[in-house]
Amino acid sequence: MRGSLIGTVILREWRTRVIKRSFLLGTLLLPLLGVGFVAAMVLLTKGTESHHTVLVEDGPGLITRIDPVTGQYVPRCPGCFPEREHLEFRFTREAPEDSVWLAEGHTVLVEFDESVLQNQAGYLVYVKSPGMQAKRNIERDLSKAMEHARVMGSTELDWAAYQRLKFDLNLVNRESNGGERSKGGGEEVRGLVGFMFSALLFLVLVVYGGLILRSVVEEKSSRVVEVLIAAVRPEELLLGKVIGMGFVALTQLISWSLLSTVAFSVFRLVYDSGQFSEGMLGQGEVPADLMTVMAGNDFTAILLDIDWGLMGVSTVAFFIGGYLLYGSLYAMVGGSVQSEQEGQGMVVPIIMPLMFAYLIGGGAMENPEMGALVGLSWFPLTAPVIMLIRVAVGAPIWEVILSWVLLMLTARLILALAGRAYRHGVLNDGSRSGWRLLLQWIKGHGR
Amino acid sequence: MVKALSIEHLRKSFGSLHVLDGVSFDVQAGSIVGLLGPNGAGKSTLIRSIMGIVEPDGGTIALNGQPWNREAVRGIGYLPEERGLYRDMKVGEQAVYFARLKGMGRKEAIDALRIWFDRLEVDGWWDKKVSDISKGMAQKVQFICTVVHNPPLVILDEPLSGFDPINARRIVDTVRQLASSGTSILLSTHDMQSVERLCDEVVLLNRGKVVLSGEADALRESGWSGQQEVVFKGNDLAFTNAMGAMAELSGITEDSAPGLRRARIKLRQPDRTGDFLTAVGAVVEVVEFVKVRPTMESLFIGAVEQSTAEIPSET
Repeated sequence: MRGSLIGTVILREWRTRVIKRSFLLGTLLLPLLGVGFVAAMVLLTKGTESHHTVLVEDGPGLITRIDPVTGQYVPRCPGCFPEREHLEFRFTREAPEDSVWLAEGHTVLVEFDESVLQNQAGYLVYVKSPGMQAKRNIERDLSKAMEHARVMGSTELDWAAYQRLKFDLNLVNRESNGGERSKGGGEEVRGLVGFMFSALLFLVLVVYGGLILRSVVEEKSSRVVEVLIAAVRPEELLLGKVIGMGFVALTQLISWSLLSTVAFSVFRLVYDSGQFSEGMLGQGEVPADLMTVMAGNDFTAILLDIDWGLMGVSTVAFFIGGYLLYGSLYAMVGGSVQSEQEGQGMVVPIIMPLMFAYLIGGGAMENPEMGALVGLSWFPLTAPVIMLIRVAVGAPIWEVILSWVLLMLTARLILALAGRAYRHGVLNDGSRSGWRLLLQWIKGHGR
Repeated sequence: MVKALSIEHLRKSFGSLHVLDGVSFDVQAGSIVGLLGPNGAGKSTLIRSIMGIVEPDGGTIALNGQPWNREAVRGIGYLPEERGLYRDMKVGEQAVYFARLKGMGRKEAIDALRIWFDRLEVDGWWDKKVSDISKGMAQKVQFICTVVHNPPLVILDEPLSGFDPINARRIVDTVRQLASSGTSILLSTHDMQSVERLCDEVVLLNRGKVVLSGEADALRESGWSGQQEVVFKGNDLAFTNAMGAMAELSGITEDSAPGLRRARIKLRQPDRTGDFLTAVGAVVEVVEFVKVRPTMESLFIGAVEQSTAEIPSET
């Protein structure tokens, strides 16, 4: 019977918040905005790459020579200027007027003088900025050509020998468990993924904690609470409220996941059908599929690197524990104050550990294996945020489970204490409030 | 007969303040008991103790002959003084929620609520939000939520506050009907008129103690000072002369009915009513001769003043 009472409270909390226009709008819009953001990044990457004809003004003749057949300036190192999709180089040694090189169809002019080999600087002149990617390619190609000029100016080396001697060390990650080695790598990227999830969890805990606080204060100020606790024990009411609101959060999280998957699949289907590629590609170019395009972009590549299944289960598990813990604390504070503003002031010490975990979590992207993280991932108040980062990087499963069990036990304890304070608090309509009074109620004293 | 509510030596203190100090009384099945007392007398604490919201320090509470238990409390219909509704919820949905908390099934709750909504003329407001209805309408919805599950015991704390006279009368009639159908009612109020109209018994609290209790009629009878009222048609002087030394005359006033006079007297020998009526009947036409019993209000004020003088203040 008591269970069905809590169920009734849970159902009310869920229904009154989910069957609401604002909730439906928020739930529908966010995934669309998320997928829209990814789509915009992909389309902008492809769509905004306009063609550039770069005129390189090589006054000192460092990287160019005259082609005897055509009589035109050509690079001394043709291999330094590989064929690029949206970039074309032309060379000159005279300094043309801006109106002249623009009229000849060039979009960018690169100027440098003899000192370029010492100070490694030149000018990029344009009417419309060529964009970061194009600028990077121009710099890369010209740097290589300058390197070629330097090597050719040396008596000891020739270009082929230099190319042979040049050495770039590439370290491939291998993780060892003492006996066997497995393919590792990408800890930083995985740390970032974990941090994204923990940031999401942090946001949900704070936002939904705030909603619990508001709901409890509203029940107090509207005087509904006395009718309620005549039928339901205050502890049960608190539990029903926290769980009900938790289901609202879960509903939103799950809806977002499902809708995002559907929206992304639709976008992928439309993209791969070639509709977006039309008009963007030159003749004979084969449109790449969405995954290939995403893999080529630094940000969207991270999204492809996520183990969504594992992260999903861990997020839900730590959300449940963290939410029960923090939700109870928010409800306890809500029961002890007369207004939401007063409550917001009192929750600051409560969310400090969570905030601390969030800030430390940001640093963990640089070094996801740092020692402080291990300790904080075991501490129940910071575990919901920190453990997710470690899960993403690859924490031992027994640590994850034990940390979660500790979190759940602490949440249960806090729930019991919060219920005790809530019982006293919800009927307290006096002007007194604050942590001292709250602690008295937890101990079971006071009116 | 089984007592719907039985309270024995109930005590509750907040710090050094004894809010309830050995309170004892019963509510018989099917009766309406008025719980009276000045502000701070301990009425709300007493009710909250019955409802399990406040834990008493001592004493016992029995419900329907059984020791206090949470399930029995859930069956009580409780309308607290500090009451409200969720502003953002629809009226019907909210009423169903409260009924469900009282153990009713959804369909059963909807069926019963439809009947009550119709009875108190709030049908048509089912799908409206609470924020869109008037205060009086919200009061009626709260009353319905209190009684919809057909509770054997109903506790009403100031049920008429906020009602206009017409709706107050409607609630009074409904309470009376509930009692006549066997529901026991504990009514806490400062409205003495509703106490006189409704209550079979009263319990008067002051400073945490029961200072007066019993059947309403018996209390008024026992508080009778011997004053009587004579409504007559005739001359004031003739009436006074005829009365002579048989009674003390407090005064003669004009009655609301034209041509009638109203005299308030006290017989020096209460058993000589016949002689008195014969004497005055010879000179004026006696229309009515009644006892002037004290009002609940005067009993209340008298008992509170007396007990306040007797019970030392603790603050």
